[in-house]
Amino acid sequence: MAVALPLKPPHGLDTEGFESAQKVVKFVVVNKPEEQDHSRKEEVTSFEEAMLPHLDAAHNLARWLLRNEQDAQDVVQEAYLRAFRSFGGFHGGNGRAWLLTIVRNTSYTLLKKNRSADFTTFDEEIHASSDESVSPATTLEHTEDAELIKEAINELPAEFREILVLRHQQGLSYKEIAEIAQIPPGTVMSRLARARLKLKEYLATRMSK
Amino acid sequence: MSCEEAIKLMDGYLDGELDPMTNQTIEQHLRECAECDQAYKAQAALIRSIGTATPYYRAPAGLRERIQSSLREEFAERPMQSASPDMPSQLQRKQSEPRAVFWETQWNWLALAAAIVLAAIIAFNFVPRLQRPGADQLLATQLIAGHVRSLMANHLTDVASSDQHTVKPWLDTKLDFAPRVVDLSQQGFPLIGGRLDYLDNRPVAALIYQRRKHFINLFVWPAESNAAKATKTISRQGYQLLHWVDSDFNYWAVSDVNADDLQTFRQGFEEQTHPQPTNR
Repeated sequence: MAVALPLKPPHGLDTEGFESAQKVVKFVVVNKPEEQDHSRKEEVTSFEEAMLPHLDAAHNLARWLLRNEQDAQDVVQEAYLRAFRSFGGFHGGNGRAWLLTIVRNTSYTLLKKNRSADFTTFDEEIHASSDESVSPATTLEHTEDAELIKEAINELPAEFREILVLRHQQGLSYKEIAEIAQIPPGTVMSRLARARLKLKEYLATRMSK
Repeated sequence: MSCEEAIKLMDGYLDGELDPMTNQTIEQHLRECAECDQAYKAQAALIRSIGTATPYYRAPAGLRERIQSSLREEFAERPMQSASPDMPSQLQRKQSEPRAVFWETQWNWLALAAAIVLAAIIAFNFVPRLQRPGADQLLATQLIAGHVRSLMANHLTDVASSDQHTVKPWLDTKLDFAPRVVDLSQQGFPLIGGRLDYLDNRPVAALIYQRRKHFINLFVWPAESNAAKATKTISRQGYQLLHWVDSDFNYWAVSDVNADDLQTFRQGFEEQTHPQPTNR
């Protein structure tokens, strides 16, 4: 006979290790123990269906942040595992932004761990005034040079690389960027403007050499 | 708009993240200022190039499989099946990690409960208020703003005439309804003209009357058939608002005249529009 049971071990086993099973209290109709296994597989499947379509976006962000293919792949894999573990806490909404937030945080953890020289919090106050040094006309000539732009972005601090990638490659709105980069929505425009200005300055420096 | 402001907002403008009003102000400035226009073109070119010239690193083929198999591994490591001899040691090993998940889960349930309570509070308190006086308060704010703006921006009338037969046809052509326009000079409220305004999410007619040196904006738009017929008075920020409804229209009179004058105005208006008043 079919009985409705919460998804828990069938016997009076010590429940110490089963917290994760309580994450989502699902009631399933249990006939045989193998069917529990089956519904756990469904959990993985529904996670994959929701999150794997964003794999390219996740990889691209990690790749630009870490500037290294191997690190990027490791971070994306780790981020997917983290996402899976807290998938129960994700109640629909913008899945891409949710996943990218985890990818971003995981990337930063690695950057910090490696004590990457570029990982310095960029002081917007100090750098704000170095304006006007780049004339629009001179940069205009070189904005077509893809290789140069790529190089320039890689020279920028992580938080500038991040915002440029989120905006220009993922095409995200300011609101989504604010969510992923964990900054106030009002800061997105000024940070983007500074990132672009830094890029221009870099291009100008390269040209004068 | 100054050049400094225009440059500051340029990125938001190019990214299409500003409101339409600000967009227009910037476009206006760009038409007038060659220097900013050049800066705009350069920035637009840069933004285009960043998007098109930089590589998008798609995930390599192997990564998807790697992730899928690590997910299956993770899933398999979670203790699932009933007693097996080596289970205790496995539990011991995994203890620290599931703990974290557990607390996270607890928190999520709490957050969910809090959200439900909050939603209930909003549903029970906020929504009824919004439907009744809150909606009036919002409208009152808009009405006062409309009145103040009309006096402030030297834009009191679109059609300036004391002749109701000039004002009415002008309004009729601009709106999808035909408001009643009457001259109340004899009652001491000469007609000054008419204007279009936008209130309560729709275009409305504004009739302007004068009382000595004060102006009265009478906002008119079609009434909904089930609208409450009661008159309302609101006094805010030194302005008097008087609302009434007749068979076809909503009326809101806004002015800095005193409340009695506004009532006299309304009586005069109703007598002229409905020659045989029923409420006498």
